[in-house]
Amino acid sequence: MIGFTLRRLVLLLPVFLVVSLVVFFIIHLVPGDPIDNLLRAGSTPEQRLQIAAKYGLDRSLIEQYVTWMGRLLTGDLGTSIIQGRPVSALIARNLPYSLELGVAALLFSTLTGIAAGVIAASYQGTRVDDTITGFILLGSTVPSFWLGLMLILVFAVWLGWVPVSGARGWSSLILPVIAAGLGGIALVARVTRIAMIETSRQDFVMLLHAKGLPPFIIQLRHVLRHAMVPVVTILSLRIGWVLGGAVTIEYVFARPGLGSLLIRALNQRDYPLVQGCLLMLAMAVIIGALIGDIVQAAMDPRQREARA
Amino acid sequence: MNRRGFLASVSVVTLAAGLGLAGGYSARASEPEAVFALGSAEIGAPHHDPIRATLLSTVATLIYDRLIEQDVDQSYHPHLAESWENSPDGMNWTFKLRQGVRFHDGEPFNAATIAWWIPKFKGSPNEYLVDAVDRVELVDDYTVRFIMKRAEPNLIYNLASSFMGIPSPKAYDAAGDNFGVTEAVGTGPYKLESFAVGQETVLVANEDYSWGSDLSDNKGAPHIKRLTLREIPDASTAFLELKTGGVGLLLGVPDQFLPQLQAEETLDFRSLPGFGITYLAFNTRAEPFGDAAVRQATALAVDQGAILKSVFNGVGLEAHQFLISTLVESKIDPKLEIHHDLAKANELLDKAGWQRGDDGIRVKDGKPLKIKLTAQSETAIKRTAEIVQAQLKAIGMVVEIDIFDSTTVVDQLKKGQHQLAVRQYGWNNADILDWFFSTTNIPYPNSSGWQDEKSQELRNVAMQQSKTLDERVANFRKYQENLIGNFLFVPIHEPVQNYAFNKTLLEVPEKLRGTQLVQATTVDIKVVG
Repeated sequence: MIGFTLRRLVLLLPVFLVVSLVVFFIIHLVPGDPIDNLLRAGSTPEQRLQIAAKYGLDRSLIEQYVTWMGRLLTGDLGTSIIQGRPVSALIARNLPYSLELGVAALLFSTLTGIAAGVIAASYQGTRVDDTITGFILLGSTVPSFWLGLMLILVFAVWLGWVPVSGARGWSSLILPVIAAGLGGIALVARVTRIAMIETSRQDFVMLLHAKGLPPFIIQLRHVLRHAMVPVVTILSLRIGWVLGGAVTIEYVFARPGLGSLLIRALNQRDYPLVQGCLLMLAMAVIIGALIGDIVQAAMDPRQREARA
Repeated sequence: MNRRGFLASVSVVTLAAGLGLAGGYSARASEPEAVFALGSAEIGAPHHDPIRATLLSTVATLIYDRLIEQDVDQSYHPHLAESWENSPDGMNWTFKLRQGVRFHDGEPFNAATIAWWIPKFKGSPNEYLVDAVDRVELVDDYTVRFIMKRAEPNLIYNLASSFMGIPSPKAYDAAGDNFGVTEAVGTGPYKLESFAVGQETVLVANEDYSWGSDLSDNKGAPHIKRLTLREIPDASTAFLELKTGGVGLLLGVPDQFLPQLQAEETLDFRSLPGFGITYLAFNTRAEPFGDAAVRQATALAVDQGAILKSVFNGVGLEAHQFLISTLVESKIDPKLEIHHDLAKANELLDKAGWQRGDDGIRVKDGKPLKIKLTAQSETAIKRTAEIVQAQLKAIGMVVEIDIFDSTTVVDQLKKGQHQLAVRQYGWNNADILDWFFSTTNIPYPNSSGWQDEKSQELRNVAMQQSKTLDERVANFRKYQENLIGNFLFVPIHEPVQNYAFNKTLLEVPEKLRGTQLVQATTVDIKVVG
């Protein structure tokens, strides 16, 4: 297991290099220029040149990449062109909000999704299953932007239970977590339901029934455990989403976060900030996948051997 | 309990724990406090340092005072400068400063402050504001003289800019790059308590304040003792916050929300004249708009009244020249203003050799009159583009609309890849004409590509040779008359600035002062009850 983990960690190095290349060059391929977003009526052409020189934008892309990578290796993500603050400080300021919302939404969607999937599988073919499946379908199709506004209208405006927006206190987290988590519930519930149904049909489950074990024990102790393998895969891929996937939710609920930071930086072509955010999100996805692999390998030795 | 019952119970408990609904989220303090939501254009200001900022919000106008204030009619009023005088040749400005003013840190405001402050702009993004000032001379403790490199009557406008709020020299030098982030010290009616970028700024009243400008009825400490300015990017969410009382005032309301505002008993709004213009920008380097007749025909085919009604719900004004209507420079010869005249537009194209085909599309030398209209992906802009498309069809012009995000649109303009574009600007000074039409600004912001000796000569006179404000006004009128006579743009709409408030929480003066709802009005706003 240790060897497997080490091998996976070593593989991260070339992946990081490729990611850094893609992250750097992709934003420079998009039309636009951050300096246009800095200048106001009255600014002189000389000021444009000064800004370009200050941030190294007058140099070739290769030179800019080498400089960026050099700084990156020392832990310096550069300075935001538009905001004039270190990128790492801006990320650090927004990260806690993203983690708070992302982790809460992931927990909410995972627990609720697994519960809904288990119930649907247990009541397969009944009205309960149909109702849950219906909700799953609805959850995967309702736009989170619209859902957020509807939740605000019902729970904040009509009922007055929670604040409309903001990031002050736990009560302001409730609606964003529900809005961000609903899509995840649908996904986790669907995967859990299918995995539970498929596992229930396997020979070892028939054997357990034949041995006279109570169905409730079989479902929870044996079927659910096996059904969790695809669920873990899905969850590991959602770790990147935890950090940057709630852009629309952050927008609707006026919450700070990495998603909003990235979108604003993209709109302003703030290269260092976009690069810093994208790199951070890409690494989160990669590390998420790594954790998923390790957990899967721990749960299923066959996979560990297959990937060795 | 059977298997199904157990599983259902566990799931219900999990759901309930996940939802965790509970009431109670705010408690109102006894001292008068209020929450404002910043307008969308103000969101994202990374700090409140007026010297090195490229984006400032209303917050800066509450923390810092300026030498001069500008009113809604663009007139200038004393504030930290009690009076000022410009020498006849425009080469000296003398300012008498107000006495008894102190910064939030207790430091005095005097002539030495100004002598420290002006050189601080060197190398900053706002250097151009004081670029014409050669040096500052101290006449006495409360009198300073600016010795100019060149006459610059527009200095008075620059001094009224929010970027010219005066910080405390001691605090500024001590805080370094953290000034405006962790601390922001001015002489204004509010002190900074806390600032969370992209979220909110909390201010507390400066109880020592007694030097309010004559634009405010209240010259002393503000009525609202604790003021939170929140950043809410989504207009719908901000509106719901206002409705529920989470926010007392919105510093910017889209026109489309006005009918809903009027329908709510607890809500009201105030308006100020606009701060910019929506217009069509031609690329004179791209055919067919190299031909002045085609530009004029296109301009005359646009019906500003129809666009005002259908896109902007009748809110704002029709624009018939390039500057906002409160600027005196906008009062050009009415005969030169651009008004809808379809018959003349068709006549011009006929004369220019563009003949209508059987399908109604005009053709010249075998080429159809077909153009691309570039627009950014914002609702009002997109709708304007669609109406323009329909209106230009009436003169036999086929319009294809290309929608991009705002930065890509700028990139297209810079590369001259556009033919016609729907654009907006926000600026309350006639020098916007220089910004968009001077040959020195080709290819961007002068994306029209206009190069003309006469236009540039008039521009140089207006920008560099005006010695007094009156001269400057006259020179800019001539400059705009030249540009409008060459049909380089099609003015469409002048929006108004709307501010909505919750009547159950705040009392807002009927008449707003200042070019925007900033310090002058904020100190007069009272908390209800």
